[in-house]
Amino acid sequence: MDPRLVPARDMVRPPGKAGAAGARFPLGLGERGVHELAEAAYGDMPALTGFALAAAKPRKGAILWVTQAAFAAAHGQVLPHGAVGYPAGRAPLLIVRPRKLVEALWTIEEGLRSSAVGLVIADVEGADFTATRRLALASGRHGTPLVLLMPHDREGATAASSRWRIGARPSAPNRFDPHAPGRARWQAVLERSREAPWLAGHVFDLDYDDETLSLTVVSGMAAGQAAPRAPGGADGERAPPRLAAV
Amino acid sequence: MPEIVSEDIDREADQRALAALAGWMVRYSPRVALDGIDGLMLETSGCDHLFGGEAAMAAQLSETLDREGIGHAIGLAGTPGAASALARGMGGSGPHMLAEGMEREGLADLCVSALRLSPEAETLLRRFGLTRIGQLYGVDRKALSRRFQSRDMADAVVLRLDQALGLRTEPLDPLRPAPAFSARLPCPEPLGATEGVSDGLRQLTEMLCAQLSTFGQGARAFAFHAFRSDGTVSGVEVSAARPVREPKHILRLFRERIDRIDPGFGIDLLLLEARRTGPMATSAVALSGDLAATDTDLAALSALADRINARLGEGATRIIRPAESHIPERAAREAAFAGDLPDVPAPCVLAGPRPLRLLARPEPLEVLASVPDGPPVRFVWRRVARRVVRADGPERIAPEWWRSLGPVPDAPAGGGMTRKWLSPKLDKRADAALIEASRRRLEEAERGEPVRNLPRARDYYRIEDEAGRRYWVFRRGLYDDGRGGPPEWFVHGLFA
Repeated sequence: MDPRLVPARDMVRPPGKAGAAGARFPLGLGERGVHELAEAAYGDMPALTGFALAAAKPRKGAILWVTQAAFAAAHGQVLPHGAVGYPAGRAPLLIVRPRKLVEALWTIEEGLRSSAVGLVIADVEGADFTATRRLALASGRHGTPLVLLMPHDREGATAASSRWRIGARPSAPNRFDPHAPGRARWQAVLERSREAPWLAGHVFDLDYDDETLSLTVVSGMAAGQAAPRAPGGADGERAPPRLAAV
Repeated sequence: MPEIVSEDIDREADQRALAALAGWMVRYSPRVALDGIDGLMLETSGCDHLFGGEAAMAAQLSETLDREGIGHAIGLAGTPGAASALARGMGGSGPHMLAEGMEREGLADLCVSALRLSPEAETLLRRFGLTRIGQLYGVDRKALSRRFQSRDMADAVVLRLDQALGLRTEPLDPLRPAPAFSARLPCPEPLGATEGVSDGLRQLTEMLCAQLSTFGQGARAFAFHAFRSDGTVSGVEVSAARPVREPKHILRLFRERIDRIDPGFGIDLLLLEARRTGPMATSAVALSGDLAATDTDLAALSALADRINARLGEGATRIIRPAESHIPERAAREAAFAGDLPDVPAPCVLAGPRPLRLLARPEPLEVLASVPDGPPVRFVWRRVARRVVRADGPERIAPEWWRSLGPVPDAPAGGGMTRKWLSPKLDKRADAALIEASRRRLEEAERGEPVRNLPRARDYYRIEDEAGRRYWVFRRGLYDDGRGGPPEWFVHGLFA
């Protein structure tokens, strides 16, 4: 493995407690509880989708994918042929496209209560504190994780365990063809977290390899520009790792 | 007579009223068919005992219709033709009844017009002096058909006669398929409140599920009818992805819709029908997840899908079924969830990478700068100009030629075929247009103009812009492929 790439797990420890069991990287995303992913700018919905499918590892059951009809028209529908390259993309997929937000929230809650569903992913235009609290309670009671993919104007209070803001980044250099896009890269900013509040505001630069299905934290990518067409330059001037065990 | 007002007969309204009456008649028999434009046919086999025999049933039917002020005549016999002849030929509201096997004697004195014949056939028969049905019995069939002008008309008369006498069968064409299982709950006092209705529904569901489990069956659809005492009916229907017979689950599906039942002036009969029945898969649930063949509990998933469908409408839950095709939108076809899950598509090594999100339909993009036979350098999509930094491709997906073997929509067919030929009596403008179209087609054929509407090859590229967004774009068509104008560009999907 490239020495600059650090596995994304086991990275995060609370400050001052070097030996303490810290939170593992996606902070329970797609494993338990409700997590929000928001677009950094309009058009980052595919990056959100990729991050959700790469970080979540459903243990059993199908994925219930709830997409509000307007979202499906704007950002398309998840494609199983493309999702097989992600750990969560191999689970059977049940798609529901409600028109209204109320219907979408109702569908999400029904899905959380079903024993056949291992993960609920929802593209919704927004959800207020009460709605997220309700979903968090349902998720906690039935042990089914929920990932909400939300538009870039998502702000305000939430009862979700974390909110991430995800943006697309220029892809990793392609070893076989310098002119072709390489591995997908995203920048994930942890805006708020209940599990690891000391990490709020932290920036994770992520690199996803769809051959080994591994999500890794890349250091230095965001500090310097990734100049993919000049392979010599980018490699030399990488900034020191921004994220290290403190 | 100035006080007489005349109005045209409204056949459509009559048809609607008759259909509504037929829906209400389901309370007497599940098999109700329309008989012409003014009659209803009920199959009473197996139903009459619920009302205390045929005579009591007919009397009750007559009484109810009288109460609603609907003029009627009732006939009851062993064959549909005989019953219809009794109702139409005996006069008075009846009920006129004929025992099984007595058709020949019972119908002999009736007028031939009771046989549901065309007016021409009736006129002809009257001219021959054949006015009673009994007179037809003795007539030689060959002689009869020789007297009619056309063979069809003679056949029609013989057919109706044979049907009435039971020599030929006459299958009913019921308005709704008869349910395999049903449960009914007559109410001694008309129900006026929704609570009573849901209480009745609970009893009915338990009765029906007991019936279903006796036969080892489950049903995929349930229809609930509430018959009001004023002769109208309101109903709701729910469906399931796979056969079910769990009362709790069925009641939960109905819970979303039961409000649509309007008690009106009171409901005096509740009826629950099971439709689309099939054997239940009654396998024991694996105790450990490791023992299960699949790790998705299909029964629980179907139950979830049923609840969502009951709330959001039929077919709200979708799955994507992979199909054998190279065209991306055909390879991932959406279908309603029907109790089974498709296999996960194997990552194909021969095809190129596939995007994570596929747009509902390819969106055209405006190319600002391009290189010949290469991806665009700058393009506008959704009103934002983007510069391509890196690109990969092309992956050529050729059209499926076997799909375009049919007639090309613009081909020289139609037009001339539907019209006889030029005729001075027809309007001249249409002729001029026809001549013009034929001339243009001939000219195009001579010049070797490209044939339109043939599918064109697509060259797919994976491109990345400055912001790091990755798109799946394609160029439809090639220069000089003889299938239309210059190539067009589209965005078809988005990579993560």
